[in-house]
Amino acid sequence: MTAPPVPRPHALRPWARLPLNAHPTLRLGLLILLGTLGVAAWGTVALPGAGQQDLAQSFLPPLSPGHLLGTDQLGQDVLAWTSAGIWVGLEVSLAVVSISAVTGISVGLCAGYFGGVVDALVMRLVDVCLSIPPLLVFVAAAALLRPSMLTLILLISVVAWLPYARLVRSVVLVERERGYLLAARLSGATRRRVLAGHLLPAVSTPVLVLSSLQAGYVLLWEAGLSFLGLGIRPPQHSLGYLIAEGRETLSTAWWVVVFPGAALALLVLAAHLIGDGLRDLVQQDVEILGG
Amino acid sequence: MSTSADVDRLETGQHRAGAGYARYVGWRLAQGVVVVFGAVVLSFLITNLSGNPGQVIGGSFLSPQQRQQIIDQLGYNRPVLQRLASYLAGAAHGDFGTSYQTGEPALRVVLTAFPNTALLIACAITLAVVAAVPVAVLSVLHRGSAGDRASRVVMMLAGALPDFWIAIVLVRLLSVNLPWLPAIGFTSPQSLILPTVALALPLIPAFVRLLRGALLDVVGQEFVTVLRSKGFRDRFIVAHHALRNALVPFVTLLAMQIGWLLGGTIIVEVIFAWPGIGSVINNAVQARDVAVIQAAVVVVACGYVLLNLAADVAVTLIDPRVRSGIRP
Repeated sequence: MTAPPVPRPHALRPWARLPLNAHPTLRLGLLILLGTLGVAAWGTVALPGAGQQDLAQSFLPPLSPGHLLGTDQLGQDVLAWTSAGIWVGLEVSLAVVSISAVTGISVGLCAGYFGGVVDALVMRLVDVCLSIPPLLVFVAAAALLRPSMLTLILLISVVAWLPYARLVRSVVLVERERGYLLAARLSGATRRRVLAGHLLPAVSTPVLVLSSLQAGYVLLWEAGLSFLGLGIRPPQHSLGYLIAEGRETLSTAWWVVVFPGAALALLVLAAHLIGDGLRDLVQQDVEILGG
Repeated sequence: MSTSADVDRLETGQHRAGAGYARYVGWRLAQGVVVVFGAVVLSFLITNLSGNPGQVIGGSFLSPQQRQQIIDQLGYNRPVLQRLASYLAGAAHGDFGTSYQTGEPALRVVLTAFPNTALLIACAITLAVVAAVPVAVLSVLHRGSAGDRASRVVMMLAGALPDFWIAIVLVRLLSVNLPWLPAIGFTSPQSLILPTVALALPLIPAFVRLLRGALLDVVGQEFVTVLRSKGFRDRFIVAHHALRNALVPFVTLLAMQIGWLLGGTIIVEVIFAWPGIGSVINNAVQARDVAVIQAAVVVVACGYVLLNLAADVAVTLIDPRVRSGIRP
C-alpha cells in the first residue's frame, strides 16, 4: 500500500491554473478542432495535389505508400481531398456565421429596442421565413442559381440569420428592463450609446454560443448540398461531394466514404462541444457575478 | 438548457397571458394564415427571381422558336406582377399550374407523394421518441454517474454524424448482408426500416438533450423537494411528476422537428429512392419543374403551420396552467 499522492499546490503546477482546465467540454472541443485542423494542414502542405487524378493508382487501400488514407476510383488521394474539403467547409461555415451574426444582431437589436410596429413586422417576417424548412429553400434555390461557393454562402446566410435575430431580440427584451440600462438612459446616454455600448455587449455571449453551434450545422448543410450536387463541385473540394462520389464504389472502397465522413463528424462534434462548453462557462460566470 | 427554439416559444407565449383560450387559438390561426400567405409569395419569388425556366429547360437542344414557345406556354412572357397576381389567384383555388414533365396538376403530384413522407416521418419520430425518453430519464435519475456521462458522449457523437453518411453506411452494412432488407424504393413494409433509422438517428440526440435539460429544470423546483421530503422515490417523482412538466417544451420541439423533416427528408429520400415529397422536390429541381417546386413549398409550409398549431393546442391539454393563462 502506498500513501495516496499528495496534491501538489497550484504554484508547482502552473498548467493547473489554465482557465480551460475547469471546463473539460470546451477543452475537448478545442482539442478536437485543433487536431483535425492540424491533420488538414499537414495534408494540405505535404500533399499539394488535391484532386490530381492518376488512374494507375485507383482504389489504393489506406496506409499505401504515399497515400495514407488511400485513393478513390480516379486515383485521387483521399487525405489530400479531405484536407482541402475541411478548409472549404470551414471557409463556408465562417463566412455564413459572420454574415448572419452581423445581420441577425442588427435586426434583433433594432426589433427588441424599438419595439412596436418595427418589432411586430420584423418578427412576423422571421416567422414566415422560419416556416419553410431550410433545406427546401437551399435545394429549390441552389438548383436555379449557378452553383458556386459565393451563391452557397449567400443562400445559407439567407436562412441562417433568423435564429440570431430571435435570440438577440429576446435577450434585449429582458435587458431593456434592467436597472443598469435605465441608469444609462437617465444619465443621458444617446440611443447609439445604449445600443452599441450596453446592449451589444449584453448579447455578445449568447451570440457566441449560438455561432459556435451554428458553425456545425452549416458544415452539415454545405456537405449535404454538395452531396446532392447542388453545392460545391470540383475544382473546389467538398467533403459532401467526395462522399457522394465514393458512394458508388462503397462496396470496394469503404475508405473513400468513411474518412471524409469522419472528418465532417469531428468538426461538427468540436463545434457542439465548444458551443456547450462556452454556454457552461458563461452560465458559471453569470452565477459568480450575479450571486 | 434552452435552445433558440425554446426561446421562441417563450416569446410567442406572451400572447397567452390574459387572453381567453379561444382568442388565443384564433390569434395563432390568423398568424398561421399570414405565414402561409408569406410562403406562397416567397415560393413565387424564389422561382421567379432566379431566372426564366424557359431559358433553362431543354438546355441547348432547342431552337429559338421552340424556346419562345415554351416561354409563352409557361406564361413567362408576361410582366412579373401580372404573373404574381395570376399565381396568387390560382393558389387560392389550389391551382399551382401543371407539371410540365407529366402534365398532371402540380398540387396533385405533391399530394400523391405526401402520405409516403408522412409515414416515414411518423415512423422516424416514433422511433426517436421511444429511444430518447428512456435515455433522458435514466440519465437524469443517475445524473453525474459514469453511465450518464457515457450516454452524453454517445449522443454527442451521434448528433455530429451527417444523416446522408449514416444512410450510405447503413445501406452498405445492412442491406448488402441482409437480403430481406431492401435498400431502395417502397415495395414492402421492410422498406421502411432503413430510411426510418437513418432519419431517426440524428434526431435522438436532439430529443435527449432537450428532455434531459427540461427534466433537470423540473427536478430543481420546490415541489420536487417537497415530494422527496414526503418520502417519494426519485423514480416515482420523475415518472409521475417531472416527465409531465418536461413534456411542454418537448412537444413544441417535436412539432418543429416534424415540420423541418417535411422538407428535410430530401437527402434521405433520394438515397433510398423513397417515393415521397423529398424525391418529388429533387426531381422537380433537377428538371426545373417550377410549378411542382412552388406547390411543394406551399404544402410543406401549410403542414408546418398546422403542426405548430397542433403542438400549441397539445401543450394546453398537457399543462392546464398555459390554458388558464397563469403561466405567461
